[in-house]
This record gives sequence, structure tokens and C-alpha cells, in this order.
Amino acid sequence: MDAHTPPPPEAGPAAAPAAGITLVIDGVEITAAPEASILQAAAHGTAALTANIGCMGQGVCGSCRCMVRRQGERQVETRLACETRAEAGMEVSFIDYFIPEHRHVYDIAEVTESWGLLDQLNAIFPEAAHCRHCGGCDRACPKGIAVQQGVALCVAGDFDAAARGFDECVMCNLCTLACPEHIRPNNLGLFVRRATAALTLRPIDLVRRLREIEQGAMAVEIPPEAGAGAAPAVEHDA
Amino acid sequence: MRAIPATRGPRGAPPPPPPLAALLQSNALLDDAALAGATPLRADVLVLGGGGAGAAAALAAAGAGRQVILATKLRMGDSNTVMAEGGIQAAIGPEDSLQHHFDDTLRGGHNSADPHLVKQLVTDGPAVIRWLIGLGMHFDLEKEAGLGARLLRKKAGGTTVPRILSHRDVTGLEMMRVLREAVELHPRITVMNRCPAVELLSDDAGACVGAVLYDLEHRRFLLLRSPAVILATGGSGRLHLGGFPTSNHYGATADGLVLAYRMGARLRDLDSFQYHPTGVAWPAPLAGGLISEAVRSAGAWLVNGHGQRFVDELLARDIVAAAILREIAEGRGVTRGGRVGVFLDTPGLLARQPDLLETRLTGLKHLAHKAGFDPRREPFLVAPTLHYQNGGAVIDPQGETTIPGLYAAGEVSGGVHGRNRLMGNALLEIISFGRRAGAHAAARPVAAYSRGGIEHVHRWQRALAAAGLPRAPRAPLLYPDYAPFSLRQHAAA
Repeated sequence: MDAHTPPPPEAGPAAAPAAGITLVIDGVEITAAPEASILQAAAHGTAALTANIGCMGQGVCGSCRCMVRRQGERQVETRLACETRAEAGMEVSFIDYFIPEHRHVYDIAEVTESWGLLDQLNAIFPEAAHCRHCGGCDRACPKGIAVQQGVALCVAGDFDAAARGFDECVMCNLCTLACPEHIRPNNLGLFVRRATAALTLRPIDLVRRLREIEQGAMAVEIPPEAGAGAAPAVEHDA
Repeated sequence: MRAIPATRGPRGAPPPPPPLAALLQSNALLDDAALAGATPLRADVLVLGGGGAGAAAALAAAGAGRQVILATKLRMGDSNTVMAEGGIQAAIGPEDSLQHHFDDTLRGGHNSADPHLVKQLVTDGPAVIRWLIGLGMHFDLEKEAGLGARLLRKKAGGTTVPRILSHRDVTGLEMMRVLREAVELHPRITVMNRCPAVELLSDDAGACVGAVLYDLEHRRFLLLRSPAVILATGGSGRLHLGGFPTSNHYGATADGLVLAYRMGARLRDLDSFQYHPTGVAWPAPLAGGLISEAVRSAGAWLVNGHGQRFVDELLARDIVAAAILREIAEGRGVTRGGRVGVFLDTPGLLARQPDLLETRLTGLKHLAHKAGFDPRREPFLVAPTLHYQNGGAVIDPQGETTIPGLYAAGEVSGGVHGRNRLMGNALLEIISFGRRAGAHAAARPVAAYSRGGIEHVHRWQRALAAAGLPRAPRAPLLYPDYAPFSLRQHAAA
């Protein structure tokens, strides 16, 4: 399609209209469109955002994690700003990224022994068995994942169920922030997901195709006219 | 306009859209004072960009024993990769072949792709899937798991054989969280978040020997010397070319194109962008966001204001997008809340296949939840959204640009797709060419770290002055222009 096609009339980035709602984001009063998300409100604020912003609305990168207090409420909730609608009188604080004190280092290529997976899990994530069931992770998760149960499934060795439980995790690290035992539930869940795929996923159609390629039975021929529609390239000559 | 031919294009190259041309003709952000005060650093391989291509490149280079720095403007993983929904192409079906994949890709791109790059892409496909599984990425299976299971294959628009492999409709999320963890845990990779590249470094021979980064946390410039630099900076959707909304992440501001062009790299197909047919038109807060091609692949119809289907929903993306724009332009669109589009008939689809929402279209389920309605009862209103930069830096099959030492992988590169991209070929491209660039960059001799400088910038500035443009605006843009950002003010504060 031609890049210069006239835009459809409704198109263009969502800009803040003259009349909107007012909320406070990181101490600054912002006026936003009535239906805007917190993130859209912040992005069209007084200065360009350089952190806590990524996918801008899809809810998959986990950057825009924030604490939210609605007008008239005492309770503070953790949310993804891109998935939460801005409301009048709302108070929002974005949560900085932090250098984690505890790292659970492993190389997935060295997780090769399925008989010993449970032992390896305990060796890499020794804190996981110490869950005190405070429920902080469950309250912190903006995706509604049953984090505490997921940790218990990992520790019990119920790996497939644990992997399914963390399927919708976007690695926002809010459960890790909330955990007083330094379990790092999201990293634990991802370890189990990675291990189950790497240890058990052996699709036979892929195996067969890889063998065909190795044996040279899958050559690609470039026809003489291939690429004839290409436009010339540009470079400057300064 | 001999010195700065970006707007006109020499030798018959079609011109880029004006906002992109303006960025290509811009002045540097960096001056000599900033350079003199910069903190020096070294790496064997420098990767710019924290999406899938950057991660794959970093893992390949580190796997070859090199010390790698991966610097990224936002944060590792904040990228278009993590947002990818539909899946990844690899020719693994018994009725499929690498040749079919090659033919489909070349035809989908209107026979304008570089056939040698396409051959490399499709040949790498199955090995890429195996590599991803080895890192711990899940793929959907046809039936139950177990030895002998087969991968679930979906059909992409414009292809002859079902070839899309996926993890539900959140394939990019599954891929990116695995890649990010692998990168962050790797002992030879240092990740530098919030460190956008503001200029490349050149040596006397014109090779790329590093980059200047701006460290937003510490408000300082970093002079990073490296014998190989891999651009994995992605695309340019946040320029909102043509006034379109975009499906892209916040950082897609064409930074890599600007830096590569200023250094003298050859670029191609800069006028060619992909508009994804099914961007959200209504509800307004979600406008521009994407509804995965997986929804059409599963059988959803596009319906105009007269209640009629108007296009085969599974043709190539550019054709379907053009058909939607035509319906709107000729008055057969649907208006809702001041927004115009056509219906994506999810109620029809989910009546025919009621379990889809829970099994394969979880992304759609989340989107509908955010929109506040039930997709079984109400359809989305869709219109094309700016999705993908088809063109970019010219590369060879190892990912090297026309500048020695400068590599490009992923959306910032051009030639892999030609002038239109098929669904699922972007996720394949970033891993295939990311790994190739990383491995090839790792093979460069590291013995001598060149001093490097910005002589190419001085040359460029003299050309700007000669062309009467000494006060050209400064770029790379770094952030979209929704709110003001000044690097100088930020660095001075």
C-alpha cells in the first residue's frame, strides 16, 4: 500500500481534548480524555515518558506497572497503567525498576535431566519451599494469576499445571516485589515453563523436516526473475 | 540535491514519506563537547535494541564466546516482538517445503524482496523453531502432547499451505519472555536499559566501531567502542505516517534508520509500510491496537455497513487493508462513537466455533475485556493501522550492512520481505537474521579497538550547511512527539 494514502478521518494518535478528566500522576496534575487509559493520559502529559512505557496498551510488556488509588478510596492497588482507565481524582504512582538482590541463575541448556528436575528447581529456587501463604503475590498480580498456587505447584513438581498457571504472566515483577521470602514467583514460573518445553517438546513433523534439510533433500531454487520487482536503494553521498 | 538526497532519492528510488525524510535529513543530537565528556566503555559486540532480534543477536554472539553489551532505549523486551500475536512461519508440514515458503514470501512481497535473503530466511525456519524450543519456548500442538505430537499449523493470509506456528495468540509474549530471561541470565551479556544510541562511531576507513549512548538514569553520555555493532532498533510506527494510528510500541521512532543513513549505509524500500487490516477503530481508547490475524485465520469475516462481506479475509495484508479503506472511502463503512471502520464479525465466528475464545484466541478475550464488551455478542470495529516498516538497511545474508562492522537485523533491515510482509515472517526474520548477525559479528577480529569518532557527522553537517540546512532539526527522535523531550535539557539537568 502507498505510504501517502490519505488517512481515514478518525485516525491519528489519541490527543487530550480540551475538556477532560483530571488526575494526579507521579505528583503532577494531568488532564486526560474521558476514555483514556492511565498510560495514554501520562504519555500526553507535560513531558515525554522515558520509562514505565513499552507496548502502550496491549498489556504484554509489563513496563507500566503502577500503584493506583481511586478517589474516595483508601485501598491502593497495583495495576498496569495501559489496561486501567483513567478516572477523575485518581492518584497514580509508577513503580520504578529495581536491581534485584537475589538472582536465580541457571542455564536452560544444562537442565537436561528430567528425573532430577525437581531437585534442580529446589537448588535454583531454594526459597520457593518457604512460602508463608501471605497472598501478597496474588494481590499484586495485575493479570489475576493464582501466583501462590502456582508456586505450590512448582514446589510439588506438578510442572505442567504450574506452567499452565503462569501462561499469561507478562513478567512485570510485581509478585516478586510483593514476596517477603524472595521467591521471585514469576521467574520460578518461567523456569518451569522453559524446562517443560525444553525437556518434553519434540514435535515429530519438525524432527522429520530437520532431518530432510540435513540430508540435502530440501533445496531452494531461486528462479531467474526472482526479485525483479525491487526498487533501487538509496544512500547519501555527503 | 546531491549532498542529502533523502527526499528525492537518487537513481530512481521512491522517496520516503515526508516525516521520515525530514528525520533522515536531520542534524545530529550529539556535539563534540558531549563526546569529549563521555564515559568510555568497551564490548566485543554491541547490540542496539532489546527486542527479539537484539536478544537473538546477543545470545548468538555471547554463545560464540564474546563479551556482549545489549543497550536499549526503553527496557529489555519492550518491543514489537512481545506484542506479536499471530505466530511464526516455518515450513514443517508434510505437504509443505522450503520452496513453497520461499515462493509464498516472494509473491507476498510482490517479487521485490532480495531472493538470497528470502532463501536464507526460509531455510533457517525449522532450525529456528528447534532453537526456540531449546530455550524453553512453548508451541501449540495439534492434539495432545507427547512423543510423536505434531505442531498446530495455521494459515497466514497470502500463503498456500498452513505454516504458522504459534503459542495461542500471544506468540510474541511467549517468545520474548523466554529470550529476555536467557539474555539476562547469560554471564557474557550486559544489558543496559534506558540507554538509547544517539550516534554511531566511525573510524578513518569508514567502518562502524561503536556507538555513543545516552544513559538516562545517570544523565551522561557513554562512548562505547566495539568492533561490531548490530542495529536491532526496530521500526517507525510511532511517526504515525499518513496520520494513521499504529500498533507499534512506544519506542518505534526510526532511530536506527536515521543513524545508519547518516553513517552512509544504503537503505531500501523506505516508501513501503504495512498497514495491518484489523486495527481497532472502536472503542476509541484502544484505537490503533491490533486484532491478531489469528482471528481471521480462525475464520472471522469482515463485514461492511451493508452487512456484506467484501474481500477474501485471508488474502495478503496489503490487499485486505486496501479493501477496507475502499469500503470506508466509498461510504460503506460503519460509524460508531465518531470512528469509522468495518465490522470484524466475532459473534459469527464464535457462534460457529464457541470454544475458540478459551483455547486459541486468549488475546482477543483480553482485548474484549478491556473494551468492556462480549465479543460473542458484539463485533469490533476495525480499520487499518500502521504496523510494519517493510524497508530498511540493505543487508547481506549474514546481516551485514554496506558499512563494514555495522549489522542490521529485524524491522530496521530491508529486503527480507520486499514491499509487503506475510504474517509470521517477522518473528522468523528476527531470530534467523538476529542469530546470523550475532554469529558473524562475533567472528570479527577484536584485537584492536579502534579509537573511533564522529568524523562522518562532521562531514554530514558540512553537507547540511552546503545544502542551506545548517539548522536542521535534530534526530534520532528517541520518543514520539506526544509530549516534549529535549536531550540537551535532560543532559544539562
